[in-house]
Amino acid sequence: MKSIISTFSNFNSRNAQVLSKKSASILFSVFRLVVLLSIGFIIIYPLFYTIVTSLQSKYAFLNSTRVWIPTEFAIAENYKAAFDAMEYVKSLWSTFKNEIISATIEIASCAIAAYGLARFDFKLKKLYTAILFLTILVPEMLILIPRMLNYSHLDLFGILGLVNKVTGVDLRPNILNTVAAFWLPSIFGVGLRSGILIYIYIQFFKGLPYELEEAAWVDGAGPLKTFLAIALPSSGVVILTVTVFSMIWHWNDSLLSSMYLNQDFPLATQISRLPQTLGSKYHIILSARDPQGIGYLMAGCVLFIVPMLIIYMIIQRWFIESIDRVGITG
Amino acid sequence: MKKIKRNRGITDLKSRYGYLFTTHWIIGIVIFFALPLVQSIIYSFSKADVVAGGIKITFMGLDNYKQILFEDPNYEKWLKGSITSYLYSLPIIILLSMTLALILNQKFKGRLFFRALYFLPVIISTGAVINLIFKTTGSDMSDVGVSDALSANMISVDDIIKLFNINGAVAKYITSTISKIFDLVWSCGIQIVLFLAGLQSVPSSFFEASKIEGATKWEEFWFITFPMLSRVTLLVTVFTMVELITSERTTLIKNVYSMMRTGNYDESSAMMWFYFLICGGIMGIIVFLYNRFLMKRWE
Repeated sequence: MKSIISTFSNFNSRNAQVLSKKSASILFSVFRLVVLLSIGFIIIYPLFYTIVTSLQSKYAFLNSTRVWIPTEFAIAENYKAAFDAMEYVKSLWSTFKNEIISATIEIASCAIAAYGLARFDFKLKKLYTAILFLTILVPEMLILIPRMLNYSHLDLFGILGLVNKVTGVDLRPNILNTVAAFWLPSIFGVGLRSGILIYIYIQFFKGLPYELEEAAWVDGAGPLKTFLAIALPSSGVVILTVTVFSMIWHWNDSLLSSMYLNQDFPLATQISRLPQTLGSKYHIILSARDPQGIGYLMAGCVLFIVPMLIIYMIIQRWFIESIDRVGITG
Repeated sequence: MKKIKRNRGITDLKSRYGYLFTTHWIIGIVIFFALPLVQSIIYSFSKADVVAGGIKITFMGLDNYKQILFEDPNYEKWLKGSITSYLYSLPIIILLSMTLALILNQKFKGRLFFRALYFLPVIISTGAVINLIFKTTGSDMSDVGVSDALSANMISVDDIIKLFNINGAVAKYITSTISKIFDLVWSCGIQIVLFLAGLQSVPSSFFEASKIEGATKWEEFWFITFPMLSRVTLLVTVFTMVELITSERTTLIKNVYSMMRTGNYDESSAMMWFYFLICGGIMGIIVFLYNRFLMKRWE
């Protein structure tokens, strides 16, 4: 210790300052790495555990020397059981048809509404923005039940109901159990968490330079053309961000689908009721202490996550870069 | 004279386009948002019976609210539990995600890897699957199960607290934070993304100027980064509050769901409205205080 101090005192003050700055920055890098790794562990641990558990049979749980490395493999058995219980192919199709397509519609319709709110001034703009915030704040589940009941005889502004009262003919369609239950709100830009998507769009559109658009105006382009040819091509980043969010939320949505459908459920609903399905199908009771069936359950979770993980791995490079360029200013 | 007239013409036109772009959205708001919202308020004040071809509503006044508040033995318990956990998780999630976003915004080796890792909860944590995973892997430490294996390897938190001589209330806060650490970290995904996006809008010239003036890192954060992030912080706060309130892991929501599935719409609507009114009130107070004391200071 003394020798270190003496070496230090031999430096002139400027050198010492540089050195202490350098050592501070090294210390900081180490600290940063420790923080990142330890919180990274918290993120990776449940996933890793899930994958390891999904690979092994119930006998592995009796082996107390096993912690991280899987033993007693039963891959085929676990995955086959989960695959059958979730009706995987059918559910995947249902997810695509109900959720993914309505996510795609939502991305487009939210962009249009956000463009109107961000780029034009009009009298009711303040009111519209207030409504937008209300849609973000009001939780989906509060309006879910009335919405579902309305779906059983959909009525646009009471016109069809009036027809029903006058003529006795019920023209109101029942759109429960059809794709329309998912697509219609998305078409009108009020689908799953559309509020926050519109908000992200608005933040980005506000930052676009006006000059290009004005040039297009002068050249005689209409508003729709300006939007399609000028605004959209330069918003690739925000579209990517919104796409990722919308797709994820739709993929994971088990609430709406369990309310709107009563058969052909998408994957998210299947996974949330997997313990019950497994229990009735294979006559097992699932609990944390009883290893029987946990392998099946975790295999189901892996089957659910994997499609998203693959897509995430493909797009994460662009997604991570796009975050740097969205620039939300609030 | 002519020029003024023409200008007004363009503003008129532009405002018309504004309406044009938002027509579909406002129609959707009326049909799919405003109407159900009103209906759900009506349900909470009435007796709703499911009959063939719809729902029969008889107005009951405040009966549902009286029932849940004074006669239901569980509601108060659920309410207290949910609101405490909401108030307690909020500051931790915001501080944690802000810190992580600040770290991930720096340039260092392996940044892309860590970003990819930290965005993982974004794609998984919103769904039902995370409940299953947490329960089974013992990351949900309220369940004693597999978590024994994990916590056996860790140093006892109580020992550390004794070492630093921390007093009771704070110590309790720390222990419960550590026992919920998985839940908390996994709730930070989207918040980190939003903060990172917000950090990009801080002009780098500010930092250059402060460096020349000789500001320390702390001053840089407190006088530049934090004020510039103020609006994003507000957005993240509101977003986190809504997420926490409506999370399916809350006891209240879990129970109200099972009530709805059995067709009990009136009481469950009342339960939700009362819960959301209280949470909304708390949210309003937090946002007001934030605007009053933090935003004002910077403007």
